[in-house]
Amino acid sequence: MSTITRALRRRLVALVAVAGVGVLAGCSGVTYAETQLPASAAPKPTSSTPAAPAPTCSNATQSYDPLPSLPSRGDITDASMRRIIDKGFITVGVSADTYLFGARNAFTGGIEGFDIDMARAVAKAIFGDSSKVQLRVITADDRKPLLKNREIDMVARNMSMTCDRWNDIGFSAEYYRSGQKVLVSKALPGAKDLTLADLKGKRVCAPTGTTSLAKLQQVKGPVVVTAGTHTGCLVLLQQGKADAITGDDTVLAGLAAQDPNTVVTSAKAITVEPYGLGVNKADVYLARYLNRVIADLEADGGWKAIYNHWLAAPLGPAPAPPTPVYGR
Amino acid sequence: MSAPTTNIPVAIPAGASSGAPAGQRPRTIAGSLSGGIPGARGLAGRLLHGTPGRMRLFGLLGVVAAVLLGAVSANALLASEAAVERAANNSAQVVRAQSIHVDLLRADAVATNAFLVGGLESPESRASYEGAMGRVAAGIAEAAAAQPADGNALGVLSQRVQTYAALVEQARSNNRLGLPVGAQYLTQASAGLRADAIPIVTQVVKANEERAKKEFERSNSSLQLLVGVVSLIGLVALAVWLAKRTHRYLNPSLTGAIALLLVALFVTATVITGVGSATRDVSNGSYQRAVALANVTTAANDARANESLTLIRRGSGASNEQAWVADRKAVDATLATLDDSALQDQWADYVDAHVKVRSLDKGGHWDDAVTLSTSTEDGGAAKTFSTFDVAVTQARDSAAKATVTTLETLGRAAPLMAVVVALAALVASWLIVRGVGQRIEEYR
Repeated sequence: MSTITRALRRRLVALVAVAGVGVLAGCSGVTYAETQLPASAAPKPTSSTPAAPAPTCSNATQSYDPLPSLPSRGDITDASMRRIIDKGFITVGVSADTYLFGARNAFTGGIEGFDIDMARAVAKAIFGDSSKVQLRVITADDRKPLLKNREIDMVARNMSMTCDRWNDIGFSAEYYRSGQKVLVSKALPGAKDLTLADLKGKRVCAPTGTTSLAKLQQVKGPVVVTAGTHTGCLVLLQQGKADAITGDDTVLAGLAAQDPNTVVTSAKAITVEPYGLGVNKADVYLARYLNRVIADLEADGGWKAIYNHWLAAPLGPAPAPPTPVYGR
Repeated sequence: MSAPTTNIPVAIPAGASSGAPAGQRPRTIAGSLSGGIPGARGLAGRLLHGTPGRMRLFGLLGVVAAVLLGAVSANALLASEAAVERAANNSAQVVRAQSIHVDLLRADAVATNAFLVGGLESPESRASYEGAMGRVAAGIAEAAAAQPADGNALGVLSQRVQTYAALVEQARSNNRLGLPVGAQYLTQASAGLRADAIPIVTQVVKANEERAKKEFERSNSSLQLLVGVVSLIGLVALAVWLAKRTHRYLNPSLTGAIALLLVALFVTATVITGVGSATRDVSNGSYQRAVALANVTTAANDARANESLTLIRRGSGASNEQAWVADRKAVDATLATLDDSALQDQWADYVDAHVKVRSLDKGGHWDDAVTLSTSTEDGGAAKTFSTFDVAVTQARDSAAKATVTTLETLGRAAPLMAVVVALAALVASWLIVRGVGQRIEEYR
């Protein structure tokens, strides 16, 4: 064999080996496409369209005549009330985060406040036991639909009596009078005296489905931000996603108590918010029964005791209870 | 440029000189070849001339075929080993991502449950929450290191988890002060976790499941060996041609080479199909079991968190209860395929406790419902759930471990085999050269 043959052969072997290595490298180098992030839904823009003006009437606080006296459980023949009595407890829609009115006590886990005591007073009247109440935590937006489809028997959740709402549900007589105010971060200049109209271009939060939101949408200037509840608004404010919160003064007092960096402004209340206990529109008898319970509470000092227990500290001693209007 | 100095006639006019204008000289391939590599044309012509030349050419092709067979076989072995290794890595990544998923839900279940009880949380529940979040943090870092393709997604996940943890801390500190805004922070944390963080984890799990599946399929492929078969056929054809030309039927060297390559190819094919089928077994066996058990763990922990959220939302948790029912269906369906009666019994115990919790709550006994839900006594929801959770997690861990270790041992012999096959191919090449060389000598 000639040396040339051998040299050529060696060269060829080397060439094949190099090619083989190349193929090897090509086959074992696997790279993966980058893991895709899930497509996230675009955040919903908050509605800032002004609401249609609420229908007006002069008798928003007018409820049905109270029963002459509290009947004993056995004597009640009204179908709706019989259902409650047979069930053994009354289901009441309440708030769990409206400090002082209906809020969860972080230490006991129980829900307590002015509204809760009203619900318990009703349970005591019907069953003679204030614990025969099933508290169902609902949002402001839930109030009407849940009453309508009878998932709850009554609403005790700082609910304003309005002409609009009277079209869908019934109310007891007024049991508390509040008004819409503004809570702002103390960092805003002149925070103490700001009104809603002053908050031009600022983000103001109100819970969906409330009269406060409807009112806010009628004011020109502020950017409307919404949350599920007033406490949700406070979270947004603490996270810098809102500059102010509007709502009933009692609710705002509860929020201010939770965050010393906020203040309820001294501006006059821009609305009158009469609170009533909400019931199904057909439950006129229940409403009359509730009116008797409320009238008795106001007469025997029970109402004052409840007020002083919850609200004396932030708002001062109890004023005279609101005057009920009957005759609807 | 000088005139070619070769004894083979070429197509260059003999009188052409270097001084002649380029345009006058005919530009032929032979001309440029002879000009470029002096002597090459002559060498190739001499070597490949006549029957010995053809023998040399076919011998060379035989060597190429042998080396190709060796290279392809070695490559196939290494590729199958690499595929199995990648399958093991991807399976491990699936398990890692699923662990992150479970631990996130576990942390959330603990946080919401501690909140449900009211008052200050117990040191045990705090430790349990922190343990879960610690494992999540470590898991994300580990997973990002293990699979760079997941890096971006895990980075975003890490941000979201931090947001979650921050919200839980805010909920906790407000809760310590007795402020209801704490509950709102917790609700936001839970909702954000499910809306923003969990979908990313699910995506990472899915991506790695697909990667593992692809590698399981790749390890089965022995298609490359077809090249080896063709090479072998070529060698046999060479042997037949040689035998016809020289009338000597047996060439021991060439026959030895063919036999050696046949054995190498057969061994390679056996090893690869063996690895392939063993991998398939793992894929359909312990791997599938590990994934199924992980899904059970995730669904069960989600169910448990939803039980707490249903109670926390006090009557407005219908959507959480629906989620619980969906989780239960998922757990039931998967457990049925796993055929593990012990796990099924433990799950049934928890389901019983949950049904009791729901009926208490529906009957207006919220406090009793909470007591049962958080009870660590026998029959309590907390006790029955943690019994199931511990058992199913252990089962999953052992299945996952079995998957990864089996896969890792599977491909271990392949590199050694590749070296042996490559050496065999070189020996075969030498045998081919010797065999053909012998015939060339004889021909002279």
